[in-house]
Amino acid sequence: MNTPKHVRVNKTTGKIKIETPGDGSYLAYIRTMVTDLARQIGFPEAEVAKIEMAVDEACSNVLEHAYAPHKEWHWQHREPEIRLEVHTEDGRLVIEINDHGQGFDFAKYQPADIENRLQQMAQGGYGIFIMRKFMDEVQYSSNDQTGNTLRLVKYLKKS
Amino acid sequence: MKDFHIEQQTRDNVQLVKLTGSLDMYSFPRLEGQLSAMFQQGHHRVVLDCRDLDYIGSAGLGALIGFAKEAREKGGDVKLLNVPERIYKIIELLGFTKVLQVHDSEDRALKSFTT
Repeated sequence: MNTPKHVRVNKTTGKIKIETPGDGSYLAYIRTMVTDLARQIGFPEAEVAKIEMAVDEACSNVLEHAYAPHKEWHWQHREPEIRLEVHTEDGRLVIEINDHGQGFDFAKYQPADIENRLQQMAQGGYGIFIMRKFMDEVQYSSNDQTGNTLRLVKYLKKS
Repeated sequence: MKDFHIEQQTRDNVQLVKLTGSLDMYSFPRLEGQLSAMFQQGHHRVVLDCRDLDYIGSAGLGALIGFAKEAREKGGDVKLLNVPERIYKIIELLGFTKVLQVHDSEDRALKSFTT
């Protein structure tokens, strides 16, 4: 797959670094790169589909919330950007998504009851629930020096 | 990776909308605009043919639920047709198939509006 304009990619065996502008038009490229690596290291297609959705939710949240135009963030002078580092370690796929937008108190966030939201046919609020359901670990950190980092981990289970 | 596009036709007083490519937060506003326009014209019976859909994210699914809810209030619905197995498994796991009707036959999807 050709690298789109304004995207920086560094690929080595079992590891990818991607930097894209903070724009939704790059989401499909990000999904393709991550799912290609997940397949290469042996995840079955059903798990690849879950990883794809979790990464897409994470990056979409960055665009929608961290870089929301109405919010103030520490690095307002910089152009919005998404930085991903994807690698394998000890039978796990580790995806770190970094941005320099508005931080978020992830630990205190309690997603609404999903069954209830679905019954009410609510339109939003599913993203973090999906990440937690589809990944084995979801961690978030935020500080003034390095920005916000969401770490998603999926174990490659041996059958 | 196919570019997202939408084809619309009318069958038996139902809007049959064929989706190709990926439905994510970037592409969804195009479908949202098309569904809003249909609703404004009074067309609340919609079938989305997903045979060539590669991906659907929660923003798209959530918004489709919103459209289905609105359509039901007007006596119609927004239903899914020919959902690829890979996508079906995901939306079933998340519970979206409990609130969105999914069909595997165009005939049955169209007739489901009259029964």
